[in-house]
Amino acid sequence: MSQLDLLLLVLRVAFGAFVPLCFIAVLVWMERRGAAFFQDRSGPNRAHIFGFRAGGLVQNLADAIKLITKEDIVPDHVKHKFYFVLAPVIVFSIAILSFAAVPFADALILGGKKYLMQTIPTDLGILWFLALAGFAVYGIILAGWSSHSKYGILGGLRAAAQVISYEIPMGFAIISALVVYGTVNLTEIAHYQGQLLFGFIPMWGVVVQPLGAIIFIVAAFAEANRTPFDLAEGESELVAGFHVEYSSMKFGMFFMGEYVAMFTSSAIIVTLYFGGYQIPWFSTEVLVNNARAITVLLMLLMPACAWIFIRWMHKNNRSHYDCPDDHRVREALIYAKIIWGVVAALEIVLFIYLITVSGGAADRILVALLQIATFLVKTTLMCFVYVWVRWTLPRFRYDQLQKLGWQILLPLSLLNIFVTSAVVVALN
Amino acid sequence: MGAKAKIMERTGKSFYERLYLIEIFKGMAVTLGHFMTNFLDNSKLYVRHYPEVQPEIPARWRGRHRLTKHEDGTMKCVACFMCQTNCPAKCIMIEAGERIDGRSEKMPVRFTIDLLECIYCGYCVEACPMDAIRMDTGIFAVTGADRQSFVMGLTALLATPGAYTEEEYKKGGV
Amino acid sequence: MAEKVQLFVNGQEVEVEAGKNLIDAFGAIGVKIPHLCYHPALGADGNCRMCLVGIEDGRPPIVPACKTKVAAGMKVQLDTEKIKKIQRDIMEFELINHPIDCPVCDQAGECKLQDYYMKYDGQPSRMTVKQVLKSKQMDFGCGVVHDQERCVLCARCVRFTRLITKTGELGIVNRTDAARVTIFPGRPLHNRYALNVVDLCPVGAMTSRDFRFKQRAWFLTRSASICQGCSKGCNIFIDHNREKYKDDIIYRYRPRRNQLVNGYFMCDAGRMTYKGENDDRLLTPQVDGRAASLDEAIETVRRAISEAKKIAMLVSPNASLEQMYAIQRFAAAIDAALSGYSDGCVMAGDGDGWLIQDDKSANRASFALLNIDASKAGFAAAVSGADLVLNFLNDLDRSLGEDDLTQLPATAHLVSLASSLTACVARSAVALPVASYSEDAGSLVNCDGRLQRYEAAVLKNQPLKSLIEVTRLLGGSVRNIQEARAGLQTAVAVLNDVDLERIPADGIALTASEVAHVAA
Repeated sequence: MSQLDLLLLVLRVAFGAFVPLCFIAVLVWMERRGAAFFQDRSGPNRAHIFGFRAGGLVQNLADAIKLITKEDIVPDHVKHKFYFVLAPVIVFSIAILSFAAVPFADALILGGKKYLMQTIPTDLGILWFLALAGFAVYGIILAGWSSHSKYGILGGLRAAAQVISYEIPMGFAIISALVVYGTVNLTEIAHYQGQLLFGFIPMWGVVVQPLGAIIFIVAAFAEANRTPFDLAEGESELVAGFHVEYSSMKFGMFFMGEYVAMFTSSAIIVTLYFGGYQIPWFSTEVLVNNARAITVLLMLLMPACAWIFIRWMHKNNRSHYDCPDDHRVREALIYAKIIWGVVAALEIVLFIYLITVSGGAADRILVALLQIATFLVKTTLMCFVYVWVRWTLPRFRYDQLQKLGWQILLPLSLLNIFVTSAVVVALN
Repeated sequence: MGAKAKIMERTGKSFYERLYLIEIFKGMAVTLGHFMTNFLDNSKLYVRHYPEVQPEIPARWRGRHRLTKHEDGTMKCVACFMCQTNCPAKCIMIEAGERIDGRSEKMPVRFTIDLLECIYCGYCVEACPMDAIRMDTGIFAVTGADRQSFVMGLTALLATPGAYTEEEYKKGGV
Repeated sequence: MAEKVQLFVNGQEVEVEAGKNLIDAFGAIGVKIPHLCYHPALGADGNCRMCLVGIEDGRPPIVPACKTKVAAGMKVQLDTEKIKKIQRDIMEFELINHPIDCPVCDQAGECKLQDYYMKYDGQPSRMTVKQVLKSKQMDFGCGVVHDQERCVLCARCVRFTRLITKTGELGIVNRTDAARVTIFPGRPLHNRYALNVVDLCPVGAMTSRDFRFKQRAWFLTRSASICQGCSKGCNIFIDHNREKYKDDIIYRYRPRRNQLVNGYFMCDAGRMTYKGENDDRLLTPQVDGRAASLDEAIETVRRAISEAKKIAMLVSPNASLEQMYAIQRFAAAIDAALSGYSDGCVMAGDGDGWLIQDDKSANRASFALLNIDASKAGFAAAVSGADLVLNFLNDLDRSLGEDDLTQLPATAHLVSLASSLTACVARSAVALPVASYSEDAGSLVNCDGRLQRYEAAVLKNQPLKSLIEVTRLLGGSVRNIQEARAGLQTAVAVLNDVDLERIPADGIALTASEVAHVAA
């Protein structure tokens, strides 16, 4: 194993482990500020360190400190303390693990060797995700059961029934997608989506499999226990459902697990139906071949974006009440300086790249970085959809949920398989 | 049919509505509209900038309690226990004794309100035959470091002034 | 069974006891006629006019119910418009000068004037002239505080001092607006039943210095019980209340009607015995003067019993019949000499032949039933040479002088079961707390041989074990009060036909001859 192999291994594992964790903070922030803006509120914007609020991100830090330092209670009536503690661990670790098979950039070819940009370079792909997603519900059931509380057990049972109902349409949706892609390997699936349909439409899954995409997204929402399918913790009926007896960081694990699961399923949705890391109309080869032109374009675009962002920031980061010597305005000025600094640094890096090492391996690394950025942007947007849906749709009633799963999504997904297969067979 | 009943038109029966997805997208468009508006300009949010901007408390707001006094400074309370009897939270605890300030014959020796138990229903104010207890201090946020600091005693209750003039209070605020 | 007569009330035919007045006769069948001045024990005075009722075809057509005897065929009207108007007008008269200071009045909640206003009046005052001001907070002596403004001049208190105590301290002076109840200058109430005027007063004019402002009447729980202040066994209500975060506390005793024992009254000294139930209680077991756990104290006593060569037992004449029985069985089981010596409870010459008795213990008559020796000689024989004395509730220091106390075995061998902190408890090697009579049930035989029963009234936050339970822990054979009662029924001849679980409210007379026979 060469040094390069080792380095890439470490980098990929680090990416697979830390990106979901970092996204917890981003998603919680997005959820709270997003929810606020959807509801014409402002959301958390007070917590700060030396006056720096980071738009409310610091609130997460305060929440984390609170959760960690809270009294960790294992109720006396809990008989199986081991399972009680194990449950949140399962939920959290499964959520992180299921991200391991998702490719975040096209296979990197360095020194004639091909490196799959996945945490675990496996061919299992979508199967890995399916297996682990089904496993995550064990944590919830275990939590509900070991809580030894009626709310907990009801929440756990609901989660179990819900996951069974929605795994089936989800699986069928994936089958019809696989019929199109002809592979379970997610890198290859993403690669497939880099093609163009009729020469001008990106051949994304959502274009070739619209019905499958809808079914999969709906089922993914249900799998992630997100509104409108969060009946397992329906607070109006079950107080807090399966995690009603949990406190402190054990609750925190559930909480983080939910956001990691949301991130992971967004990543899967993006990979399966929204082209994964692909930049539309620019396949990996096109990018590598035009690396210099793209770099110049980037160098031009970056300051423009920064300028727009800073204008937006100056407009919105201010106190909307009488406040002499507004601390938020001062804060924004400092942010502006930092952003310009970062932009300048990046410009210099890109410039050096342009005049010294452009061409060859460096181009491929640049493209990989671009694709990672694309993938993260797409995933973030998909996460935003999660938030968006949560603050738009009310929760289903439990019978409606089951009816939707069995009577609508299941027949539709079956129909989709037939139609897709017929089309695929007819075209070949 | 006696009362006029308005027949509401049932919606959700047409094909498009039953597809559900289209209606979902309509709804999501509405929420996204709110989001984008607020995202691009957050100056029009329906929020109070508390604590920098203190809210205006109307006179009929049920804030923290106080015990009122006569013009000569003697307390109005005669320890009749009406507030304690009426209190649904059982948070008022009175101990009565002989009056020593020359008015009638009975006064509270101890008068405690446990604000942690209080539900701020205002029944004590309604029950009081002497207008001796009021919730017009305008104090809406009581904070403390320990439980004991939420137990208001006779002196504390008497020491808090009302936040409104007599006319404003009688009128019940704006 | 008393003779019955048929008559009509509001057109309905009813059957009531003959020879009574309308208020009593109808009261017995649940038809209430409002009245302020009439009291069964004080007779009809007819001054309040609140009890006026209509007699259909009667001459006169409107009569005071308190002064009218029932007669067969009488057609009494209580709800005609005319009667209602009379009642409303009388109430308006009563309230002309009444200060309506219910918030500060102790009577509020159990005030006839309040009740009748709500029921028969309910209209705002029409008076525009200033109210007549009279004296307030007058000290009438004997712990009675009088408020002349609240008085409705029913003269119950005046009649009580004239008819019942025959002391006549109170009188009504002046006329019309200026009429008021007062005492002779410098001659306050001076009798041992004075506080009964507080109960008699239908309004808040008479209040008790002791109870004043302690509690509002509606907070109090009324539990029927028996006063244990003397051997009369007056029936009482224990008025107690558990305030938030506090313990169940007794606030006052009030007499409970029992025509066969105390009528409507009780003495002042008896009323004040409630203080002994609240204060100076022995609450924690003590071993050698330090607080100990109950287990430890019990273990110490059990060891002492097993090691002792001769045991003497001392029982109090205040113990209930059941407790005495349990103690007696225990004494027989461990072969201890049992004495009920308690001469200190008898204050010769203190009794007045009515309610106050010489003997200040509640249950001495039971000694005779159970053949417990209470003589001084018996006591001396029991304790001489004894190396362990088990004392059940008996406050020995009251009966024995300083010299006699030194004759007792060394302090280390005195074990006391007590409910209050007496001098005897202080001298005991082991003291075990037991429930007092307000917290326990039992039966008593009073000085007239009347067997009465009382139930537990007060439930403390940390209830003490009853004497029978503690005796059981010490090795006694009687498990509980039911077992004691069953045992008593077979062991005591007089009680063979008596169901101790079901003693009627006014008690059972154990016939004099039988008590005498057993005693002999």
